Amino acid sequence: MNVVWVHPGLLLIFGAWVLPLLPRRAKRVGMIALPAAALIDCALMTPGTYGAVSFLGQDLVFGRVDTLSLVFSYVFSIIALLGMVYALHVDDDSQHLSALTYAGGALGVTFAGDFLSLYIFWELMAVSSVFLIWLRREPAAVAAGFRYLLVHVVGGLFLLAGIVLYWSQAGTLAFTDMSAYAGTAGWALILIAFLLNAAVPPLGAWLPDAYPEATVTGAVFMTSFTTKSAVYVLIRGFAGTELLIWLGAIMAIYGVVYAVLENDARRLLAYHIISQVGYMICGVGIGTALALNGATAHAFAHILYKALLFMGAGAVLRMTGLRKLSDMGGLYKTMPMTLGLYMIGAFAISAVPLFSGFVTKSMVITAAGESHLPAIFLMLTLASAGTFLHTGLKLPYFMFFGKDAGVRAQEPPGNMLAAMGLTAGACILIGVLPGLLYRHLPYPVDFAPYTLLHVTSTMGMLGFTALGFFMLVKHLDPERKISLDTDWFYRRGATGFLALVSEPLRRFEYDFVGEIYEYVIRRPVLGVAALLRRFDSLVVDSALVGVGRSTQHLGQALKTAVSGHTQQYALIMAAGALALLLLARFAA
Amino acid sequence: MSFLERQLEDLVRLRRIKRTFYVGLGLVALAEIVMPLVFGAGHPHFAFEGIPAWGSLYGLVSCIAIIVISKLIGKVWLMRSEDYYDE
Repeated sequence: MNVVWVHPGLLLIFGAWVLPLLPRRAKRVGMIALPAAALIDCALMTPGTYGAVSFLGQDLVFGRVDTLSLVFSYVFSIIALLGMVYALHVDDDSQHLSALTYAGGALGVTFAGDFLSLYIFWELMAVSSVFLIWLRREPAAVAAGFRYLLVHVVGGLFLLAGIVLYWSQAGTLAFTDMSAYAGTAGWALILIAFLLNAAVPPLGAWLPDAYPEATVTGAVFMTSFTTKSAVYVLIRGFAGTELLIWLGAIMAIYGVVYAVLENDARRLLAYHIISQVGYMICGVGIGTALALNGATAHAFAHILYKALLFMGAGAVLRMTGLRKLSDMGGLYKTMPMTLGLYMIGAFAISAVPLFSGFVTKSMVITAAGESHLPAIFLMLTLASAGTFLHTGLKLPYFMFFGKDAGVRAQEPPGNMLAAMGLTAGACILIGVLPGLLYRHLPYPVDFAPYTLLHVTSTMGMLGFTALGFFMLVKHLDPERKISLDTDWFYRRGATGFLALVSEPLRRFEYDFVGEIYEYVIRRPVLGVAALLRRFDSLVVDSALVGVGRSTQHLGQALKTAVSGHTQQYALIMAAGALALLLLARFAA
Repeated sequence: MSFLERQLEDLVRLRRIKRTFYVGLGLVALAEIVMPLVFGAGHPHFAFEGIPAWGSLYGLVSCIAIIVISKLIGKVWLMRSEDYYDE
């Protein structure tokens, strides 16, 4: 069966490099056409194994297509398309190139059937996404980009080390469920690398550090790919790992706790990414069909509504230049459409009925219930209340309502509103017709989200969370401060380490090791060299000089033979002729 | 003045919105207590789900708990000045 299979990721990556060469209008068309083509490619794919290549005796599979990878590929290409619509107005070619390469890398990770191709696309994602931060071209962004790259390079090294160890143990590079190797070093290193990309605390401080520093349009791409492809690989390889249940639940609360303290709008949303990914990781850990379905569905819905939230905050950033909540307020008067579209995203993340979050988050929480994990159930529900508190109440209140900061802005350009509108439509569509999403989930779905009890319980929780917010709103005034996260260790903690290293180590190096080097190595070597030089000059040189002198003396002696007297020449010639005659006579 | 401005800037209208909100809250809490009695309790996974108006109660408690605890952790430990990392 000879089927032509086009890797949508490679389509995006190679297409991205063609884009800058096109004239302006064709470029705009291309920016939409490329991700649309990738989406159509994914939609038309049938499950199977494609793109198998033999390399150095190993089988690399670039196209492992099954329900799980298909559903992730759909949402990755959809958000690539919506993100490019949002970024149509941007004139910076490098941003489009980086964004599309990044999206292509995520698709590559999704379809990778073996660890080597996974690693290639994993690193490609890290390297291309850092440009979305650097291209903001401000000192804070450049610094944040370096920290982001540093963290991801370390993660990539962990992944590589884990892959090598796993390969030596398993004998194959195929990427499948790794529970058989649980507890081994390779398993642990790969898990750490995946957890780092999923921004699990304590390895996740890079996310709230870097995402607010990204460009307005770049941030939309960044929220979608790194963490969700990490969730995908965790579902693929680590489903059912009990550790993940607790990590996920703690993560969900961690994000919500930090979000209370945040002043920067996009940093608050970034902490919510950590919170929501916690639900997905918890689902992966629980490992039942409902839990894994829930993790997948939640990832799908999360990409869409989180992108919408970042689009809204980014639109405010672009139109007002403001990023801190303490500087904003009263924007509902001049940016009502942005507010409305943002609120759809906020309702979706808060799991309000009729929006996407309601039909997906409840799967994970119900799975926790069915697996009889009361603590996890309570933690996840608490985080749900916290999510609505921040994203649905605190952020819109201080950004759009609240005390009027006197900022008057316009609505963002049409393409940004169109992108937000389409994404909002998708959030509502999934919420109203969950079957559309459920149909594509990896396991058969036996879950009905719209039960009367569930809806009333959710409405109650949300309503009373709002009550709590309005009661305590005075205490939630954003302060002009930053919060410390685990990135303190490589930002501040590292200077302590350097101070420790520089004095004692420096002294050890120069005074102790240096002295030894001086006496054991340097002086003997120089002494031997001096000896050889003396030998050279006394013996070798004088031999050469002697030969020269002898030749000179011989020449001086021969000089006397050339006297200029013809009689002497005649005498010598006669003597010579006589000698030759005698020689001829007696030698014969 | 846009529609939203008219609703929110006028004190009378604002008070009406607030009253509607409180009435709505009361209705939801009531519905939560009454529904299980009328339609059957569904499949509660845990004992605490049987508490009347469980969703509303836990929502309020969670909200207050998150705000109080987070602010406490922030004040005692995590919050620093904006130029903490700048040297």
